[in-house]
Amino acid sequence: MSRWAAAAVVLVVATAAAVFLLWPGGERAASDIEATVAVREALAEERAGFARALAPRRLSFPADHGPHPDFRTEWWYYTGNLRTPAGRHVGFQLTFFRVALAPEAEPRASAWGTRQLYVGHFALTDTANRRFHAASRVSRAALGLAGARAAPFRVWVEGWSAEGDGASARLRASDGDVELDLTVSAAKPPVLQGDRGLSRKGPEPGNASLYYSFTRMPARGVVRVGGEILEVAGEAWMDREWSTSALGANVEGWDWFAVQLEDGRELMVYLLRRRDGGVDPFSAGSLVAADGTVQRLGAGDVTIDTLGHWTSPRSGVRYPARWRLTVPSADLRLELTPRLADQELLVGTRYWEGAVTAAGSAGPWSVRGHGYVELVGYGE
Amino acid sequence: MLTGQLARLAGRQLSSHPWQLGLAILGIALGVAVAVSIDLANGSALRAFGLATEAVSGRATHQVLGGPSGLPEELYRRLRLDLGVRRAAPIVEGDVVVAGRAGRTLHVLGIDPFVDGEFRPYLGGDERREARGRDLLSRAAELVGRSGTALLAASTAGELGVGVGGELAVEVSGHGRALTLVGLLQPADPASARALDGLLVTDVATAQELFGAVGRLTRIDLIVEDAALLPRIAETLPPGADLAAAGTQAGATARMILAFQWNLTALSLLALLVGMFLIYQTMTFSVVQRRPLIGSLRALGVTRGEVFALVMSEAAVIGLVGTLAGLALGFAMAQGLLRLVTRTINDLYFVLSVRDVTLDPLTLVKAVLLGLGATALAALAPALEATAAPPRVVMSRAALETRARRGAHRAGWLGAGVIAAGAAVLAVPGGIVLGFAGLFLVMVGCALVTPAAALLLLRPLHGVAGALFGLLGRLATRGIAAALSRTAVAMAALMIAVAAAIGVGVMIASFREAVTRWLEGTLRADVYVSAPSSVGSRPDATLDPALAARLAATPGVARASTSRGVAVQSPHGPVQVVALDVDPARPPRWRFREGGAGGVWDGDAVIVSEPYANRHGTGAGDAVRLRTDRGEQAFRVAGVFYDYGSSAGVVVMSRRTYDGAWDDPRISSLALEAAPGVDVDALVAAVRERAAGGPRLVVRSNRALREVSLEIFDRTFAITGVLRTLSVAVAFVGMLAALMALQLERAREIGVLRALGLTPRQVWGLVTAQTGIIGLLAGVLAVPSGLLLAGVLVFVINRRSFGWTMSIDPSPLILLQGVALSLLAALLAGLYPAWRMATAPPAETLRDE
Repeated sequence: MSRWAAAAVVLVVATAAAVFLLWPGGERAASDIEATVAVREALAEERAGFARALAPRRLSFPADHGPHPDFRTEWWYYTGNLRTPAGRHVGFQLTFFRVALAPEAEPRASAWGTRQLYVGHFALTDTANRRFHAASRVSRAALGLAGARAAPFRVWVEGWSAEGDGASARLRASDGDVELDLTVSAAKPPVLQGDRGLSRKGPEPGNASLYYSFTRMPARGVVRVGGEILEVAGEAWMDREWSTSALGANVEGWDWFAVQLEDGRELMVYLLRRRDGGVDPFSAGSLVAADGTVQRLGAGDVTIDTLGHWTSPRSGVRYPARWRLTVPSADLRLELTPRLADQELLVGTRYWEGAVTAAGSAGPWSVRGHGYVELVGYGE
Repeated sequence: MLTGQLARLAGRQLSSHPWQLGLAILGIALGVAVAVSIDLANGSALRAFGLATEAVSGRATHQVLGGPSGLPEELYRRLRLDLGVRRAAPIVEGDVVVAGRAGRTLHVLGIDPFVDGEFRPYLGGDERREARGRDLLSRAAELVGRSGTALLAASTAGELGVGVGGELAVEVSGHGRALTLVGLLQPADPASARALDGLLVTDVATAQELFGAVGRLTRIDLIVEDAALLPRIAETLPPGADLAAAGTQAGATARMILAFQWNLTALSLLALLVGMFLIYQTMTFSVVQRRPLIGSLRALGVTRGEVFALVMSEAAVIGLVGTLAGLALGFAMAQGLLRLVTRTINDLYFVLSVRDVTLDPLTLVKAVLLGLGATALAALAPALEATAAPPRVVMSRAALETRARRGAHRAGWLGAGVIAAGAAVLAVPGGIVLGFAGLFLVMVGCALVTPAAALLLLRPLHGVAGALFGLLGRLATRGIAAALSRTAVAMAALMIAVAAAIGVGVMIASFREAVTRWLEGTLRADVYVSAPSSVGSRPDATLDPALAARLAATPGVARASTSRGVAVQSPHGPVQVVALDVDPARPPRWRFREGGAGGVWDGDAVIVSEPYANRHGTGAGDAVRLRTDRGEQAFRVAGVFYDYGSSAGVVVMSRRTYDGAWDDPRISSLALEAAPGVDVDALVAAVRERAAGGPRLVVRSNRALREVSLEIFDRTFAITGVLRTLSVAVAFVGMLAALMALQLERAREIGVLRALGLTPRQVWGLVTAQTGIIGLLAGVLAVPSGLLLAGVLVFVINRRSFGWTMSIDPSPLILLQGVALSLLAALLAGLYPAWRMATAPPAETLRDE
């Protein structure tokens, strides 16, 4: 997964900023995004005092499922592809962001006094009805309104939560007529991304995050969408990342791909897009074998060709919409196609995050799969 | 063809009497200016109030309100999580005083910036686009992430000389606190900027810590569009909380402010009424002077309609010029008046921060209509009289004056009728507007009666003057009666102004007397201790009970009592409750309108103040329903007592009753009685010494507190005094105009007298005596009118607008002052005309013949 520290700060904090503003209506969305640029720049200056990811460290569980309050940003990122017994497809995204507003905790008399802010994003893709529903929640970690803890594992923003033991969790969220109640549990051990969990995002030391993933989590539960209550089962993906550092100034955004193949392998690639149109050398990824063996991928190990585009009728932003991923070292060629063109989130901040299907070949055999793609920083 | 000539005629008439013209314009201008400035000041204050309440309540549709100590913050969590009320915002509010700037109060609005955007989007601050994202974010982060941080309106920050990153020292209940400014609120439009003036925005946590209200919220704002949710919310609330539609609280305050402003508007219209007399006088003069000309014109074929148009257009020119001048003057005066209006509103109702007059186009329209309307109305009678002149008939002065005298009698009867009508209107129980309508009828009636009454009074005066000064004396009094068509109007105008001065003066004096007596009865202790309140008369700061106990134990204290004043919710909006912890053997000496204090100390009964009783129609034996921390409770009303402390009214109960119904240990003030033989000033010093090192406290002796209370009272009526002075000024101009007209008219008469051997000195004396008599007559007649006015103000207007009654206290001094004022104004106004008449060479004035 390719969301690294500062970029995520942009996302989380821009949501908070937008919520602070809360311009109702879509016509203001464009200006909110304008703000995110400024936010990124503003935050670049405010790293002092926070913990930094400087060297690989031994991750220990369940402690590291819980929050790391001294880092500026952190998230628990669940996405997944589900099916009803009749084969109807539903995609979901449930994300919890934590952002520290100040590097140090002050002793406060008021229970409202906290330096931790939580933001939730929840999206559901009802492919059959061509419906995409997205919402957000923002709350400070006070009065039990939001928070996170390691044991027993729980992260929540208001009524949205993930709780369990970390390797498995019950995910719950609802907004309007859309609801998710899902149990996910890891089928493979956590994948430590980058160098033993240290995922470097730029040349500067500390410009990195701590990053692990549960690349395949069988999921089972109930989805309510519209008036229908659907029993679903499928596979989820969970990304955990915490960091303090910021985006390089020459990076304008990123594309992130996570694919679960039917042959038991998972592919993750993040592509850092430079302003000059090139690909940043710190782009990276991993290929996880069916037995859990991890093969690290560098920027040169993956080629991504964009095969089509889609322009959002709501924001007017043009996103890539179909891709060919080639991993020559694994002799893997995949074509990714969105389940729905419109899986654009306009929840204070704006990005595209959607369920995709994958089809292609691995060596001589044809291979299929599904996954999630995230596109950030377009239209700025 | 004729129209052009008539227009030239009108122009010549106007320009050939510049004094008349100038004074008439001045009169209208002053009248309009007073009305305009009051309207602008009122409008600005009210708009500021509206904006300020809107700034604070934002787009909320409903509010959850708590008792004296607010709401448990747990309720917010329950509403949000258990009930899923998504659009809910926690609020902690209060007032702080800027340290070192006594009287500069800031309203603290403690919000959760992450949920508040939907309620108060302008708090997002700098709306300049490029700055928005960065500022917003770091601002929200700093506001929440750091304690003691705040945002302030850019204008207020400039006024206080604090910049971003700077520290703002404030005082809360006597405790000094420092807040760090992390951003400025710079809304794009000026209206929002005004609304945010004086607003200090902090995080909920900072506000809780600032006010020592950890765990409590002042209120929870809600945006509820689905009405079905409301009963579910109401069910969730603890007994002490109340769900109300947004604006109910502001509505009650707005109604009280409006009542106060109505009084000012009515007073300002009085000045315009006096100005109307001036127009009437000028137009009558110009018509009477040109009667021969008008007669000839009619004979030449000029129609009645054209003559009417001639006179009316002359009046319209005067009215228009006067109105425009009045508008300019009014704008200039509004700024000063706004300060006075705002101060009174601050003292009585609501902390308001208004620094600039907002121009309302409607005021412009109103002023033009008022000015021109008043002019047209005043000119109607002279214009009709002019059209009534038959062709070629030259009515003699004598005939005119005979008619005027007859008219005076008719006007007298008419006046009596109008007064009766006014009384009838006043007798109808109704609102303030009806009260003022009655008041105006009475005043107009009094003005109409004036000429007839003056003629009556002149008869004995004639004899006296003759006996004292011989021929000259008789000449003086006869002259007034003989020139009644001129003098009557001047007299009536002066009478109205002086009557207003007397009436308002008597009302204020009666009020002050009532307040003084009330203070004497209420303030029985020797030393009073309170936390410094941010606003004049409203106790909003609290004392630590432990500190109060320590101060009560100061050597030399015989007895201590405490009081707690809080606003609690009731089915009729917020109600001021005062809980007293006093020795039942020595309660305050209340004066009761009905009932008594039975059951207050030995039961759960309460007493209510008269304004409360009047506002809510509550009497002894009724019940007052209040939202307590145990749910809504009914308290039996044992009595209704006279109280001038709050025009909203108060409910007084014993501390025991209060503690039984509310969980609020705080106290607002401490009263100490000195032991026999202990010097009060020494005790004040001892208490101060004991309190040293803790929060800043206000320790005052009984005398000092009484003085402060009366000071606030006087401040409240400062604006009334200003208006009173203004209408006297208009009357003075009217007087001057009338006497100038008279002087012009009588040039020939004076010439004859001079030719007959009267010295300039004697002429001067004659004219001065005449003006003096006019002033005296107006003054004497103003006494009964003024008392009538005072009666209406005290028994009708005050009761209807503020809810309190008092006995009228016509101090002879005020009446004498009124007569003296009238005399002085007349004499002053007569100085110049008298000098002109005395020095005019007789030959020249007679040459015309």
